[in-house]
Amino acid sequence: MSDWLGMAATPRRPRPELKARVLARVYAASRRSLAWPLAAAALLLLGLAGGGVLWRRVTQLQSDLAATRDTLGLLRQPGTRVVAIRVVTQGRPGELTIFADSVSHRWLVTCHNLTPNAPGEAYQLWFVTERGMRTAALMPMDQPNPMVLAFDMPQGAGKVMGMAMSVEPREGSIEPKGPMVFHVDL
Amino acid sequence: MSRPERLTEEEQRSLLARLRAREEAALAELYDRLSPWVLGVAHRILGDADEADEVLSDVFVQVWRRIDQHDASRGPLTPWVLSIARNRSLDVLRRRGRWRRKVALVEAEAKVEGDLDEASVPGWPVHQAVHQALAGLPEEQRRVVLLAYFEGLSHSEIAQRTGDPLGTVKTRLRLAQQKLEESLRYLKDWTA
Repeated sequence: MSDWLGMAATPRRPRPELKARVLARVYAASRRSLAWPLAAAALLLLGLAGGGVLWRRVTQLQSDLAATRDTLGLLRQPGTRVVAIRVVTQGRPGELTIFADSVSHRWLVTCHNLTPNAPGEAYQLWFVTERGMRTAALMPMDQPNPMVLAFDMPQGAGKVMGMAMSVEPREGSIEPKGPMVFHVDL
Repeated sequence: MSRPERLTEEEQRSLLARLRAREEAALAELYDRLSPWVLGVAHRILGDADEADEVLSDVFVQVWRRIDQHDASRGPLTPWVLSIARNRSLDVLRRRGRWRRKVALVEAEAKVEGDLDEASVPGWPVHQAVHQALAGLPEEQRRVVLLAYFEGLSHSEIAQRTGDPLGTVKTRLRLAQQKLEESLRYLKDWTA
């Protein structure tokens, strides 16, 4: 049918107030149609941000789980020795527990209730070996929170005879120079 | 008959471009030009002022949303808008049922001129040209054209309504369409 046949109808003047109503409806519909993509984009961004947070959390939990499994694995070893050491740091009584696995040559050390370090200082753990003191771990402590560390026993230093902990500069020392917190033979 | 003045190609391109750029003033301009015709089509099909007003509103919402779908190479803007008006009106008509149709015969309405100062309506010469083209058709062809366009009747429904054989209806519609296309080929768009 001819496209122009609509023009055969008698034209009718719309009521004057209709124009504003029609145009307002058109623009409102237009804004709504714009609002949805914007809302969807905002939701997407929120989703991505939330996903990022969730991903970081999942990664952290996976890391914690791996560390816990590692710890449990070490504790289950039949050759693991457990040594509890009571320490006093600036008058505060605390405790370190060493789980020494002679099979995998790995150590796990837990620290409780140590006094936080002064600015610029850190606790440093040492292996006492046949060939002298070898650094085991640097433990800067700003909060009095429990700490767990796992590390391998030193290679090429001979038999490990004990463990020590001193207070050193925050970047650590090659050999203990600061005040000794404890020194034990195993 | 003097031929209606055309909207220049440049004016048409400019209006389309402004509509596609979502320029609200362009839509207001289109409304001023076409709303009497959109309302005319809706009222002719529906015979109800309130429903026609609703269709008018729906049509401009559709135009604004779908302006990117208008292919200028396939035809001018006016027939495209009027086809939206027709389809929307027929949808409303079908929804409420033809038995409630508030006008008796579309042919009768064609003879009624509206409440407008004709000269003030943009596109009036096109209206006259279309009427002239319709008037140039044999009565039986004109009748089937109007039943198909303004009532949305199918070929078989027209055959039922007129009592003519289906093949005759199809032939009349085909011949009428050829003649109308020939008569109105020169139209590009409405005159201001």
